[in-house]
Amino acid sequence: MQEYKKIPITKEEIVPTAKRMREAGVILAMIHGYVMDDGKINISYEYQVDDTIESYTVEGENVLPSIVPVYDLAAEWPERELNELIDVTFEGLDTSKRLFMPDTMFDGQGQIFVTPMEELIERTHKTKEEVENQ
Amino acid sequence: MSYIVPIGPYHPSLEEPIHAKLITEGELISDAEIFIGYNHRGIEKLAMQKNIIQTLVLVERVCGICSHSHMLTFAMTCEACGGIKAPKRGQYIRVIIAELERIHSHMLWLGIALHIIGHDSLFMHTWDDREAVMDALEELTGNRVNYGMVTYGGSRRDITLDQRDRVLDILDKIEESTKTLADFLLHDKTVALRTQGVGVLTTEDAIRIGAIGPHARASNVPVDVRIDAPYCCYDEFDFEKVVYPTCDVFARCVVRVLENIESIKIIRQALDSLPAGPINLGSKIPTIKPAEYMMRHEAPRGQLSYKVVTNGTDKVARVSIHVPTFKNAPTIPTMLKGNSVADAGLIIASIDPCFSCMDR
Repeated sequence: MQEYKKIPITKEEIVPTAKRMREAGVILAMIHGYVMDDGKINISYEYQVDDTIESYTVEGENVLPSIVPVYDLAAEWPERELNELIDVTFEGLDTSKRLFMPDTMFDGQGQIFVTPMEELIERTHKTKEEVENQ
Repeated sequence: MSYIVPIGPYHPSLEEPIHAKLITEGELISDAEIFIGYNHRGIEKLAMQKNIIQTLVLVERVCGICSHSHMLTFAMTCEACGGIKAPKRGQYIRVIIAELERIHSHMLWLGIALHIIGHDSLFMHTWDDREAVMDALEELTGNRVNYGMVTYGGSRRDITLDQRDRVLDILDKIEESTKTLADFLLHDKTVALRTQGVGVLTTEDAIRIGAIGPHARASNVPVDVRIDAPYCCYDEFDFEKVVYPTCDVFARCVVRVLENIESIKIIRQALDSLPAGPINLGSKIPTIKPAEYMMRHEAPRGQLSYKVVTNGTDKVARVSIHVPTFKNAPTIPTMLKGNSVADAGLIIASIDPCFSCMDR
């Protein structure tokens, strides 16, 4: 049975933990992140230590240090994904190019804005009235 | 003179969308960049809005090739959150389907790779063998794509003695043809010319970038979740980690063919020693309390991980799906450097990518 161990840490402990793991030859399984019910961000660094996942978790921080200098490309894509999807800033991470979001994300055109149904109905009625009045 | 050659997101040599930007010096690639996200379907968000029974069905549809792997890993993670242990017979059935899925996935990839290098005869022979594996899956599950064999606390369908005998007959045929294919791949001139020394990913680079699965094993990195962190009774079967030292596209072909032989060994052992007893827990599933867990499964393309956060309701608070392609795709630029533009399609395909899985 694979084991899972959650270990809460502060943002200052992220890089020293990564360095310790890297020196021990531990694989970084993934960096996960999500927005909790209270709106705070939960970021967890999952390291594979034998058959156990050690999950070093930071809660409530929107700006974190990047571990790309320690774990290289193994950390880059997970950090870039979290940066684009839940807007976490990783200090030192190159975000000049997009990874996951549409090509036009930098000028805002890539976002699809959904018009509320009430507004659509209102617009349709207006158009109808304008046609009838002509 | 330097040119930028775009490949994709929609390209004949890509089965699924990805965008590669190749920076070239004449015929050679000097650098490359990869962009993903063209097949994002919002599955993680949707999973949080459905109950966990519905989500089990939903996650099976993340991928059309390794659908069982997704269903299995999600079920294992939820079971771990709830402290549920599936009966042994149910776990053996899960292993049998997972290994059949691995064989058909590897054969599918091999066929495509052989087609890309222009060896269409071998491509058709490989896919002919794959059809027999699909027949075995259809025999056991009734389906060819989404098998629906996993439920919380075990498997959904049992394997009868007749089914067992028919699958063993299919395995006899597959084993012989796989050994012939392995021999052919190791000695065929066309395969050697088009794959040896192409798309090299050194062992150091594979470890640095975090490659996993057959892609890493073909770079001589011995990682395999089935052996490193056993689950589903994998520790009860006798099989080897297949690694190959040449680190090129050739090694990726060889590793996958040899892994099929190991998978056949596992299925035989599982069918021969299928434990008696129930296949699942029936209606004895406990309520899943607030918890979080991450489980890993060696899917055909490498380590598939699911992280699930439960909150005591019938829905999950968070599902995070990370597939092998997310770990292997960052190796593409390194592999492309120094190769010719003509080999770019083959090198990208050599990680056995599943971009639908990755974008989820």
